[in-house]
Amino acid sequence: MKKLSRTLTKTLVAAALTAGLSLTASAADKFKVGFVYPSPVGDVGWAQELDKGRKGIEAAFGDKVETVVVENVPEGPDAARIMNQMASQGADMIMLGSFGYMNDGLKLAARKKDMSFIHASGFKTADNFGNFQTRNYESAYIAGIAAGYLTKSNTFGIVAAYPIPEVVGIINTFTLGAQKVNPDVTVKVVWLNSWFNPSKAQESARSLISQSADVVFSLYQDTPSVVTVGEEEGVYVINTSSDMKKYAPTKLLASLAIDWVPYFTERVKAAMDGTFKGEPYWGGMADDAVSVASLSSDLSAEQRAEIDKVTASIKSGAFHPMSGPIVDQDGAEKVAAGSAISDGDMLGINWLVKGVETRIPN
Amino acid sequence: MEPLIFILAGTLAAATPLLYAALGELVAEKSGMLNLGVEGMMAVGAASGFVIVALTGSHALGFLGGAVVAMLLSLVYAALTIVFLANQVASGLSIGILGLGISAAIGKEYEGTTVTTFAKLDLPILSDIPFLGRAIFDQDILVYGAIALAILIWYLLEKTKLGLIIRAVGESPHSSHVLGYNVALIRLSCVAFGGAMAGIGGAYLSTAYTPLWADGMVAGRGWIVVALIVFGTWMVPRVMFGAYLFGALTLLELSIQGIGFNVPSQILSASPYIITIVVLAIISRNPILIRQKSPMSLGETFKANS
Repeated sequence: MKKLSRTLTKTLVAAALTAGLSLTASAADKFKVGFVYPSPVGDVGWAQELDKGRKGIEAAFGDKVETVVVENVPEGPDAARIMNQMASQGADMIMLGSFGYMNDGLKLAARKKDMSFIHASGFKTADNFGNFQTRNYESAYIAGIAAGYLTKSNTFGIVAAYPIPEVVGIINTFTLGAQKVNPDVTVKVVWLNSWFNPSKAQESARSLISQSADVVFSLYQDTPSVVTVGEEEGVYVINTSSDMKKYAPTKLLASLAIDWVPYFTERVKAAMDGTFKGEPYWGGMADDAVSVASLSSDLSAEQRAEIDKVTASIKSGAFHPMSGPIVDQDGAEKVAAGSAISDGDMLGINWLVKGVETRIPN
Repeated sequence: MEPLIFILAGTLAAATPLLYAALGELVAEKSGMLNLGVEGMMAVGAASGFVIVALTGSHALGFLGGAVVAMLLSLVYAALTIVFLANQVASGLSIGILGLGISAAIGKEYEGTTVTTFAKLDLPILSDIPFLGRAIFDQDILVYGAIALAILIWYLLEKTKLGLIIRAVGESPHSSHVLGYNVALIRLSCVAFGGAMAGIGGAYLSTAYTPLWADGMVAGRGWIVVALIVFGTWMVPRVMFGAYLFGALTLLELSIQGIGFNVPSQILSASPYIITIVVLAIISRNPILIRQKSPMSLGETFKANS
């Protein structure tokens, strides 16, 4: 039903897009960049962060670029149609904002060798098809330290989207960060199996609070519903993607912020210069792609100093949040003392560290 | 807040939007109107209610506005099926889709924003009762309003002449017409009532239950409502039980995950729906149970032969 209505909306949008683009096609030989988002550009959230990146491009290149946006595009045939439409209307580059756009994007990239593509969070590349994601596990480690300092019940709750490696990795480093300063911390996870389900996310947060969690982590939930519950119930909240300070002015512990502007700008410049290559990009604190925003003022000066110290060591590359010795939930050693996890292992991580009570569903 | 209080208190709130919409739909179906557009009506109610609360700060106005806008949408359905004699199923589906589109348009500017939560009632003595106080008596007025409405609708349908007329129209519009009742007007009123209640349910979702607007936030509840009527075999107490059961199951799932039971979360997420399907299958095996209270003319258009 929802799908059907979206299809109808999308048809109208595509029609409007066709009309709009053909009018401007002859306007100038601007460099055209198309953006496809999986959700509406809201006040906060994933699409909003991507759109900040788009605005960053417009600010950086001014009249030289023109951007076209289609938001709320379901993965599948609709996405394929929209990106093909963009290509046929003369887009030089397309940013695909969701994992599920990958295969359709690759097909289009194979046909349109003169175009450049960047794709969010995928794992396949081609000569003109690169992908990008962020090392949010780095900022999650820092947020974990902050949470470890401020918890009284030593119980954390995480409202998590899907049990995929990226999410599992964040849960792990968050837990390790907390254990660094507070070894007794335990973590409960509710898997929502959804990127977007505001009422269920909210009820999950309440459920975790009822089980004595006093820090709740909203992990890849695209609305502020968990964050608002935290403020209401008086427990600390941490969230991903956007800064949600205004939804929890007193109880926001930290936001894991993302900044796509440096990466998008660099890629557009490369595409304009003809030097674009399809490569994977995994931006971290060192690239200013991820950071911790709005750290709670309840942290003491010494605690902040420690956080700054760890942040600096992650930024410089001296410290990796997944450094051994690390044991998993069953007590088996996964990362030996003196070594850190490899990027390849991190990308496929499917085990949780000791201290996390919930299992990964299999 | 202990886990049990969370489930009890949460169940009451989670069932409330379902209950309003289901009671409205029940009245419409009792008059023979199978309006499958509940999802869309709830969505426009949610979007317009949210916008009104965001603009005015008044939840009362929000619920009223949500009810009115959803009612207007239900009148489109009524016009299609009662005046133009269009097929009820197709018309209901169409206005359901239309409603989702309209809700997205109404809420466009408010995507992802929040409003203040609907205030809870301050019941001085009751909410101080240990355990039960916080579980049952720490709720907003619409939670109790849903229960009151259920009793009212039950009384109306079973004990009053108006209820008898509505049921008669749903059983046999032709006989009712011959007896001198205005079938079109009665059906139209029941559909409008159903629309208004779906609107309140939707507005409750977006301004009280999860005080934010996001496109698609009704998330299939309108379909659950349609299923609840069958689940409840067109009887108010059973529909009410179904709504609370569904609410409890969704919350239980989240609690079980947090406690750390090693059950795959995907199965837990699907459990309320699986149980609904199982119960529906069991009920449907007993044709007498279904036939007893199901309106005979449900889904049939009626044209008076004058």
